[in-house]
Amino acid sequence: MKHPKGAAIALALTTSLFLAACGGDEGEGDSSGSDTIRVTLANHVWTDTIKEAIPQFEEETGLTVEITQLGEDQLSDQYNVKLNAGSEDLDVMMYRPLQEGKLFATNGWMADLTERVESNADWDWSDFQEGPKSATTHEDTVVGVPIITEREVLYYRKDLLEKSGYDAPPQTLDELKEMALKIKQDNPGTAGFVARTARTAAVTQFSSYLFSYGGDFEVDGQAAVGSDEAIAAYDMYSSLIREAGPENVSTDMGWPDSMAIFQQGQAAFLTEADSLYRNATDPEKSKVAENVGFAPFPEGPAGRRSYNIPSWALGINEGSQNKDNAWKFIEWATSQEQALALQQAGNPSARNSVWENAESTKNDPADLVEASKGSAENGVGHDRPLVTRVAEAREIVGQPIVDGITGKDVAESAQTAQEAFQQFLDSE
Amino acid sequence: MSTATATPRTVPHTTRPQSSVSRWANHNRKWVLAAPAMIFTAAMILFPLGWTLYLSLTNAKGSVRAEKEFIGFDNYASVFADTARFWPAVGRTLFFTGGTLVAQLVLGMVIALLLRKNFRGQGFVRIAVLMPLVATPVAVGMMWRLIFEPNIGIVNYLLVRMGIPAQPWLAGENTALPTTMIIDIWQWTPMVALILLAGLTSIPEEMDEAASIDGASAWQRFWHVTLPILWPSVVVATLLRGIDALKTFDILYATKGRGGGSFNEVETLNVYAYGLSFDYNNYGIASAVLILFFGLILLALFLLVRGNKVK
Amino acid sequence: MRTSPGYRIFRIVAIAVLIVVMLMPIFWMVLSSLKNNVQIFDVANAFNFDPSLENYRNVLARSDYVDYIWNSFFVAFMSTAISLVIGVPAAYSMSRFVMRRSALVVLMARIIPGVSLLVPWYYIFSNLRLVGGYSVLILSHMFVALPLIVYIMMGFFDGLPIDLEEAAQVDGLTPIGAFLKVTLPLSVPGLATAAILSFIFSWNNFMFALVLSDAGTKTLPVAIFDFIGYASIDWGGLMAASTVVTLPIMLIALFAQRYVVSGLTAGAVKG
Repeated sequence: MKHPKGAAIALALTTSLFLAACGGDEGEGDSSGSDTIRVTLANHVWTDTIKEAIPQFEEETGLTVEITQLGEDQLSDQYNVKLNAGSEDLDVMMYRPLQEGKLFATNGWMADLTERVESNADWDWSDFQEGPKSATTHEDTVVGVPIITEREVLYYRKDLLEKSGYDAPPQTLDELKEMALKIKQDNPGTAGFVARTARTAAVTQFSSYLFSYGGDFEVDGQAAVGSDEAIAAYDMYSSLIREAGPENVSTDMGWPDSMAIFQQGQAAFLTEADSLYRNATDPEKSKVAENVGFAPFPEGPAGRRSYNIPSWALGINEGSQNKDNAWKFIEWATSQEQALALQQAGNPSARNSVWENAESTKNDPADLVEASKGSAENGVGHDRPLVTRVAEAREIVGQPIVDGITGKDVAESAQTAQEAFQQFLDSE
Repeated sequence: MSTATATPRTVPHTTRPQSSVSRWANHNRKWVLAAPAMIFTAAMILFPLGWTLYLSLTNAKGSVRAEKEFIGFDNYASVFADTARFWPAVGRTLFFTGGTLVAQLVLGMVIALLLRKNFRGQGFVRIAVLMPLVATPVAVGMMWRLIFEPNIGIVNYLLVRMGIPAQPWLAGENTALPTTMIIDIWQWTPMVALILLAGLTSIPEEMDEAASIDGASAWQRFWHVTLPILWPSVVVATLLRGIDALKTFDILYATKGRGGGSFNEVETLNVYAYGLSFDYNNYGIASAVLILFFGLILLALFLLVRGNKVK
Repeated sequence: MRTSPGYRIFRIVAIAVLIVVMLMPIFWMVLSSLKNNVQIFDVANAFNFDPSLENYRNVLARSDYVDYIWNSFFVAFMSTAISLVIGVPAAYSMSRFVMRRSALVVLMARIIPGVSLLVPWYYIFSNLRLVGGYSVLILSHMFVALPLIVYIMMGFFDGLPIDLEEAAQVDGLTPIGAFLKVTLPLSVPGLATAAILSFIFSWNNFMFALVLSDAGTKTLPVAIFDFIGYASIDWGGLMAASTVVTLPIMLIALFAQRYVVSGLTAGAVKG
């Protein structure tokens, strides 16, 4: 500190130089048709798999792909802030059609892809399944390309079923409950059943119960979560967990938590999305890998009605100045070739041709493939209320689930939810 | 010492020729020196605050750029009428802040008194106390998530070993908020302890000894001698911690995610406002909550400073 | 002053408990970071396992963690440096001219809820074309650093006798010259304190970085969430990532203990 003034000036100068330098970096990306595509992806097996293939894409096209990878909540927050401010620095967005899709599209944040999807016959938009396609289409405008589809299936433990004298997984929800209770009784310390318990997280897995009891979240714009069917479904889901679930069950469990209990061998049944099966069958993650079996979602009074939905899709930010290159990326990432490779890595595709190709499921357990097919038959195209502000709606319709789990009156809670949901729908 | 700085001293009582800029700067140095920091802060605050105020009077929803109508104080009215989310969030914010503050002051005082006198290994102890304080809050949240995990956490394992039933901790409807408070107390008690310790070292020990000779008990000495002198430090600790506790976010977000759990069990005002903005995209209501929240912080601050002055 | 043997034993036990309570959780985090997921779930054998650095290898390889470390460091360093340049003179002026109301303006930054700033800031910065680079992060972290620095340095300048500056002015220095050439060199301990503290707070900041950073500028606290994904919750990786975030700060605290403590306790003595 011999020359404090000099030091201060030097510091200030370096500082402003640095700032100017960082400022300079940003300019490049903003020019239209830049060679850098900014892709934001969620933490997902899909992302891990596609990342390995991206160097090949970069080599073929001479473009640079810059990836931001985030957890789903953080992803959603970033989109919200950036798109709200009309940001240009997002090109390709991995998003959840049923969660954010409607809001983003209503706000005009998603670029219109209709012409692009129809212009390339080789890539073949008609190869995509109808359900997923309708979820990424907003008022006749295509805003996204579905990349992952999901159905709810029943995960079960072959060894525990055998021990309690069962030679086949349950066909109906009533059987499921009966078996789960017996297994819990036969194996102290082991739960008969586990599933998501957190208010918002559970809604999607609960939806198959609701549909299988003949209910839905809303019918023609009228809330329907107070109907007798809905109450019966709420009761089934929450009593399964309350009566046959783990001791001290928390109402915070998303899929990682309920899956962890299953992985640890502490539960006999789990109803969960089929796209997550690798967590149960990978010996590095699961203690019970060799004893895991899969069955289609059990039937309810209204038959077997699992959801069959596109959980993730790729879209383009309307504010992006680099839409052509962004589309090139999407086209490549959703091509038949990539879709096949991704499905082989455990990401159920939205393309019919992939499902028809025996190669695509050769790595999967045979009973899983059958279970997925079973759940897909008669499948329902949504697993949560189809509204703009999904997060808020999920909280409302999820409340009876957690109330039921903690032993409160389900019918009463469903009635409260019914009123709140109607009010919510009226304000949409 | 370099010659540049030494030179003026060898020529006393002469004013070096100054440029007019320098003269002006020196004359107005009070504001010249303070201005950059003040302008920066004001610039960073004023627009957001004004904008939030404006949004709180509109029905902005979905997107802040979407068309919105001016609706006066309707948002405030509906927030005040909201007994499902807003008032419980106010309650939790106050409970969290009050609870952690009291615990931290009491425990911090105990720790400060323990560490007051020199002892062997005190350097190590001080470092141990410093560690929670500097640890990244988000990482701390993750760490405690694992420790309190109902099924695989060490805490429940130890409890069961000791014959005490396992607790749901962060996962329970009624235990989640107290558990986050434990985490906050773990992380921030050291700060209170260090502040009080710094205050204690400025108290001459003779005062204590004199009182001791007068036959005062340890408690009397603490109450009548130590505490009054230490009072300014207590106030500073209360102010600093109080403001930060009201605004707690990182730990709650890292342990319970958005919305503060299935029953909104750890949803404080800050978490609620975040959810309203980024989950519900309900910017009008969110802004009203934020303005009220800001008002609450200012009020708390005012009461603390005021209460202290009266004393 | 003499203390009874009973109290002495109590004190030793209490201090031992204190150390365990403060350090055990951190120790547990580090321990867990050396385990794979199966070992983490096996609480009964918590200390009986083969430690492995696999998680660290994953952390450093998988998600550009080295870049995130650099981002965190660069943002913390720059926001601290600039805040010092504008904050120290302000603190000096506010101390010498007793500008308590002006000081309140700066301290307001500590009081205002950060949530209310996020969307507006993003809006302004994106219109200024500042988003996507470091500048927006640095500016937001300065917002954290500046009030801290002003607060600490005001306390420091308050305690610095004014006589020396007056003497220097008599010797022909301008008031600003006296500040730069006499006061500042005397303030090195205070500057170190303020700088270290503001570095730590910037490093630890989560909320601003959560929304204002992106691919190229993501900082460590945000990167932690990479380990809670849709596809798996990787406790070992999560703990390794948490350790990586916290370690540098702990080292700083270890080696600059005195400054960290005096920064955290600034203002405590005079009130």
